Amino acid sequence: MKILIVEDEPKTGDYLRQGLREAGFAVELASDGLAGLQLAQQQDFDLLILDVMLPGLNGWQLLQRLREQGHLVPVLFLSARDQVEDRVKGLELGADDYLVKPFSFAELLARVRTILRRGRSGVEATALQVADLELDLLRRRVSRAGKRIELTAKEFALLELLMRRHGEVLPRSLIASQVWDMNFDSDTNVIEVAMRRLRAKVDEGFEPRLIQTVRGMGYVLEIPEPTL
Amino acid sequence: MIGRLSLTTRLTLLYSLVSALLLLGMAGLTAVAVDRHFEVLDRDTLHDKIELIQDSVAKAGSATDLQRRLDDALQNHPGLFVRVDDAAGSVLYASAQFSFPAERVRVHAVDAGPAFFTWLQGEREFRALSAAAPAHAGLRQDMRIWVALDTLHHAHFISALRAALWLYAGLAAGLSGMLGWWAARTGLAPLRAMKARAQAVTAHKLDQRMPAEAVPVEMADLAHSLNEMLERLQRDFQRLSEFSSDLAHELRTPISNLLTQTQVALAQPRDAAAYRDILASNAEEFQRLARMVSDMLLLAKAEHGLLLPRTEPIDLADEVRALFDFYEALAEEKQIELRCSGTAVLSGDRLMLRRAISNLLSNALRHTPPCGRVEVVIESRPSAISLQVENSGSTIAPELLPRLFDRFFRADKSRAHPDTEGAGLGLAITQAIVQAHGGQAAVTSAAGWTCFTLRFPLS
Repeated sequence: MKILIVEDEPKTGDYLRQGLREAGFAVELASDGLAGLQLAQQQDFDLLILDVMLPGLNGWQLLQRLREQGHLVPVLFLSARDQVEDRVKGLELGADDYLVKPFSFAELLARVRTILRRGRSGVEATALQVADLELDLLRRRVSRAGKRIELTAKEFALLELLMRRHGEVLPRSLIASQVWDMNFDSDTNVIEVAMRRLRAKVDEGFEPRLIQTVRGMGYVLEIPEPTL
Repeated sequence: MIGRLSLTTRLTLLYSLVSALLLLGMAGLTAVAVDRHFEVLDRDTLHDKIELIQDSVAKAGSATDLQRRLDDALQNHPGLFVRVDDAAGSVLYASAQFSFPAERVRVHAVDAGPAFFTWLQGEREFRALSAAAPAHAGLRQDMRIWVALDTLHHAHFISALRAALWLYAGLAAGLSGMLGWWAARTGLAPLRAMKARAQAVTAHKLDQRMPAEAVPVEMADLAHSLNEMLERLQRDFQRLSEFSSDLAHELRTPISNLLTQTQVALAQPRDAAAYRDILASNAEEFQRLARMVSDMLLLAKAEHGLLLPRTEPIDLADEVRALFDFYEALAEEKQIELRCSGTAVLSGDRLMLRRAISNLLSNALRHTPPCGRVEVVIESRPSAISLQVENSGSTIAPELLPRLFDRFFRADKSRAHPDTEGAGLGLAITQAIVQAHGGQAAVTSAAGWTCFTLRFPLS
């Protein structure tokens, strides 16, 4: 998966490149609009991450040029301005998502993966499995090591999200948005509490513990690497 | 063009123009009346003279006699000219060095009635009257008499009068213009006083007010409105500057924590786990800062009225139920009972309304002791829709109630806020959102129950 970042702020550009590389993507970085356009035309990228305010050619113009030339590459905008018009303009031009600075890197990564997953076709899974944890989407049943686990509707939705995206660190804001449709930061520890309760049902009494807290980032469901 | 002239200039010009017109009209009328009067006087004089000459003509024995009599009679009348013709057209008498206009003399038949006419000869104006004189024994033909009067002396008088009138009209117009200027200036003095006050108003001196009591009634309204405007500005400005200092304070604490922690971490080598710990703690602090910044941006947008990108009918009960789902885990953990009753549909922005109610619920959950209760009551009345969030717990002191919606306000200032505590912006955001929907947020607290009410008037 190859990503092009067009960002004029050197520090932001560098950490985005490093973060995305470490997340397993091939990343190119351009620091102005024209260089970005050139790169986007020369190489095939799976995703462009564009800052809106750029020297030379701004993010919107860049996207417009690309779309005029028939490039259908997905685009995620980064902007320091949180104006509804900006958001609408970006989406009208054919952007796939819009993130307002300051954003957390976990949030960006989660959105990048969402966009990249979108285009992929495939038969919708009816069951998910991580280690000995099984989730039956049709019958809405969960079992661990063959033992049935009773979950509430929201706990089921939360576990489904974690399992569908196992291995990814999911920030709290994304979890709140996907599971409860709460598209704003709550100033409470409600996600922690919900996660603690889910963990008590899913992980307590089983090995290995699958749901992990990544401090400062969010939560991830994965088979832990054996500690040395 | 007129629009750019000052009020004083405009009033001065208007005064001058009106008084000049009035005075000129008066002067014109006077001149015409005097002229008319002179004409009447002249006509009377000419009648007298005609009678005198008719008398002479009647007494004259012959043409020579007539000549002599008339010369005698006219000796003491300079400026009076006479001509007598007979029916045959021969001139019986004519004043020396004077000639009547030929067309006038010819047109009148000898036996016609008296005729009055005026003509100009050179620069002098003459008035003349003609009359018939019957034939008699001495002069055996019917005769016609013309008598003319030089009006030079009237002309002198009238031109002097005109000059005097012009001068007077000019002076008086000038004077009333000056009076107008003075009146306008003194009349507008309160306006200048207001201007001086307005100039004295700066960001640091917003306490200046217009002298509303000292200005005329017409301007008092304006002064009052300006004072109210200044009042509002001062209040908002005050809030804004308090907000910025609060903001600086709120940012200073976490930043100083981050700085200290990072510097302590760098002071000596540590193992990877310790670094990870410190970075994670920093990340949490940064997240809180980021949230504070976006909350403040939201409030700033609310001040500019940008909160409602789209409105749709929102079922408040549905929203509350969705939020109960969200807070369920938290409530169960503290064994707090969540209850909702009533329903209402309000036109608004879903995300914003949800956020407003969410802040009330999270606030209520935070302050409700374990095993307490949070109750939401939605009421739909013809005049308004209201949503109440009530929670059991401690009673809030009445003097603190109005300040609960202030930014960064926390009832307990001294307490170090744990991670779950917001920045003190939640209720301010709720209020901003409710106001953007045309509603009002209020709070009451008594007997161990605290109740927040959102009220949306329907109109």
